[in-house]
Amino acid sequence: MLSQIIYALPFLAEGFAVTLWVSLLVVVLSLIAGVLMGVGLVYGPAPLRWAVRIFSDTIRGIPILVLIFFVYYGLPAVGLHLESFWAAVLALTLFKTAQVVEYLRGAVGSIPKGQSEAAMAIGLTFRQRLAYVIFPQAFRRFLPPWINGVTDAVKGSALVSLLGITDLMQAINQVIGRTYEAMPLYILGALVYFAVNYALSLASRRLERRFSFIRE
Amino acid sequence: MSNASHQNPALLDVTEVSKAFGSVEVLRSVSLQVTRGEVVTVIGPSGSGKTTLLRCVNFLESYDSGSIRIDGKEVGYRETGTRQRRSERDLAAMRAETGMVFQSFNLFPHLTAAGNIMLGLRKVRGKSNAEARTIAEHWLGRVGLAHKADSLPAELSGGQQQRVGIARAVAMEPKILLLDEITSALDPELVGEVLEVVRSLAEDGMTMLMVTHEMAFARDASSRIVFMADGGVSAVGPPAEILAAGFDNERLRSFLARFRASHF
Amino acid sequence: MGYILNFNLIWRHFDKLWGGLLLSLELAVISIAIGIVIGLVLAVWYVSAGRAVRTIIAGYVEFIRNVPLILLVYLVFYGLPTVVDIAYSAQTSFIATLSLYSGAYLVEVFRSGLEAVPRGQLDAGKAIGLTPWQRLLHVRLPTMLRITLPALSNTFISLFKDTSVASVISVPELTYGAQWINFNTFRIVEVYLVVTAMYLLTGYTLLFALRLVERRFKAAR
Repeated sequence: MLSQIIYALPFLAEGFAVTLWVSLLVVVLSLIAGVLMGVGLVYGPAPLRWAVRIFSDTIRGIPILVLIFFVYYGLPAVGLHLESFWAAVLALTLFKTAQVVEYLRGAVGSIPKGQSEAAMAIGLTFRQRLAYVIFPQAFRRFLPPWINGVTDAVKGSALVSLLGITDLMQAINQVIGRTYEAMPLYILGALVYFAVNYALSLASRRLERRFSFIRE
Repeated sequence: MSNASHQNPALLDVTEVSKAFGSVEVLRSVSLQVTRGEVVTVIGPSGSGKTTLLRCVNFLESYDSGSIRIDGKEVGYRETGTRQRRSERDLAAMRAETGMVFQSFNLFPHLTAAGNIMLGLRKVRGKSNAEARTIAEHWLGRVGLAHKADSLPAELSGGQQQRVGIARAVAMEPKILLLDEITSALDPELVGEVLEVVRSLAEDGMTMLMVTHEMAFARDASSRIVFMADGGVSAVGPPAEILAAGFDNERLRSFLARFRASHF
Repeated sequence: MGYILNFNLIWRHFDKLWGGLLLSLELAVISIAIGIVIGLVLAVWYVSAGRAVRTIIAGYVEFIRNVPLILLVYLVFYGLPTVVDIAYSAQTSFIATLSLYSGAYLVEVFRSGLEAVPRGQLDAGKAIGLTPWQRLLHVRLPTMLRITLPALSNTFISLFKDTSVASVISVPELTYGAQWINFNTFRIVEVYLVVTAMYLLTGYTLLFALRLVERRFKAAR
C-alpha cells in the first residue's frame, strides 16, 4: 500500500504544481481586476458604480461550481472557445475578483473623508491622491483579509478537477482509481491543502497583529 | 467700490455665489473680496454657511451659481460661459494655489511631519527630494517643530499636529490661505501656540481667509470681519466696528450676546 | 454568435430543477441545524476547557477551514467506508460532511460571540445568585445568539450555495438537476441562466428574510 503511494508521488506533485499555478493566476488576475473595479465602485460615476455592484452581488450570489460550469459550457455556445484550463481560471478569477472588490471597498471606505480633502487641498490629482494618500493607508486594512482570502482561491481551485484538469484533486482521484487506496490518499491530499492554506492564514494573522500597532 | 480697491484689485473675488444642498440654501448670493495681504475673518452662528463658503474657494464644494475668482481666474469652472466643471488636472492646479488648514488637522497618518509637507512639494511642485526636505525643515522651524521632522502625526500633540498642518499648507506658497476653525478641535491650553503661528504669518503679509470662534484673535489679527447669517453676508467691516456692541445689526448683536454669554 | 435561446426544453424538465432547489434548501437547513449544535457545544466547551481540549477543537476548526469542501465530500463518501464498516447513501454522507463543515465555521462564530458578552452582564448574573449553568443558559447564550445572528445568516446562505458540491456525488440537488438537463437536452446556456437565476433569487430572498428577523431581534432588545 505504502509503496503504491510512494510510486504515485511524482504524479501527485505534478498535480500539486497545477493547483499552485491555477491559484497563482487567479490571485494575480483577480487582484488587478478587483482593484480596478473596486476603485470604480468607490469613486466612479453612478453607472459604473451600479455595474460593479451588480457584477459583485451576482457573482457572490451563485455557487463557484455553477460559475465554472457556466463559463466552461456556456462560452462556446456564444462563440468563445476556451481551453478547459483557461475557462476554469476565468471562472475562478471572476469569483475572486468580486471578493477583492469588497475588500477594497471596505479598506478604502475606512479612510476618513478628510484625507482625500487634505490631499485635494495641496493640489494632488485623483491618481496622485490614490497613489500617495489613500492606497498606502488602505493597504494595511486590505492585506490581512486579502491574504486570508487567497486560501479561497486555493480551495476553489480543487473544483477545476471537474473539468478534467489534472490538479492535485484530480491526480488524487486518478491514483485512487488505480490503487483503490482511497482513505490514505484523501488524507494525504487534505494535509497538503491544509499545509498551504494554514500557512497563508497564519501569515494573515501575523500581519493583522503587526498592523494593529499603527495608530491613526 | 472704493477707489483703493481699483488700484489694488481683489486677490479673491467672490461674486453672488449661491449653493443649495437639496432644498436647503446654504449660500445665498454671497459676495466678498479679499485683497493681497489682507486677513479676513468670517464669523457667524453654526449653519450660517461660513465653512461651506471656505470650501467653495478651493472647490472642495461646488457652487450652483455666481463666480469665485482667484487672481482673476475662475476657480471651479471653465471660462467658456457654459459653466463646465474644470478638468481634474486644472482643478488640482487651481487648488495648489490655495492652502487649506482643517479643523480636524487631516495630516496623513502614514507620513512623518516632514513627509506631510514634502508630498505636495514633490508631486505637485515637482521639487526634488532634497529641495522638498529643505523647504519642509524651514517651515517646521517656522512653526517651532524643527525637532519633530521625523515624527509621525500619532506621536504629536493636537497643537503640534495643527502646526504641521499649517506648515504643510504654507510650504506650497499659496496665494491665499484658508483656515477652517483650526483651533476648534484643540484643548484650550493648545490654542495659543497655533494662533501664534497664524499671527506671525499675518505679519509676514500672508493673505488669509479664516473661519473662527476665537473672537479676541479675530479682533486683533483681522483687517476685516465678515458676519454671516442664514447663508448670506449680514455685515462687513473693521473688527472694532463689527465687534462693537452697538453695531446696527440685530442678528449680529444677538449672536455676539449669545457668544459672550457662553464664552466668558 | 448566432446562438438562439430556447427555453422550451428547460420548462419541460423544470421539475428536476424545482425538486433540486428544494433538496438544496433541505440539505442546507439540516446541515446548519446539526452544525449549530456542534458549534455551540464545542464553543462552550472551548471557552471553559483546558489547553488539550482547546488544541483539539482548534485543530478540527483549522483542518476543515483549510481543506477544499469537495475533498471533504469525497473523503467522507468514498474514503471513510473503506476503513470503517458503515454504509450510507450519498445524501446522508453529504449532510454529515456539510454539518461537520458548518460546525467548524460556527465554532469560531460562537466562540467570538461568547467572548463579546460584556463582563458586567455575567457579574450581574452572579450577583442575583444564578448558578454557572443558569448564567450560561439565561445570560450568556441569549446575548451571544443576538450578537452572532448576522454571522449565522451569512453562514446559512453560503451553505446553501455550497450544497452545489453535492452534485459531484450525484445527490440530485439543483446543480445536479442542471447537469442532468444539460446532458439530456444540450440547452446549456439556457439551463445555466435559469439555474443561476434560481440560486440568486433564493439566496437574496433568504438574505432579505434573515435580515428582517435580525431587525426583529434587535428591536426586541
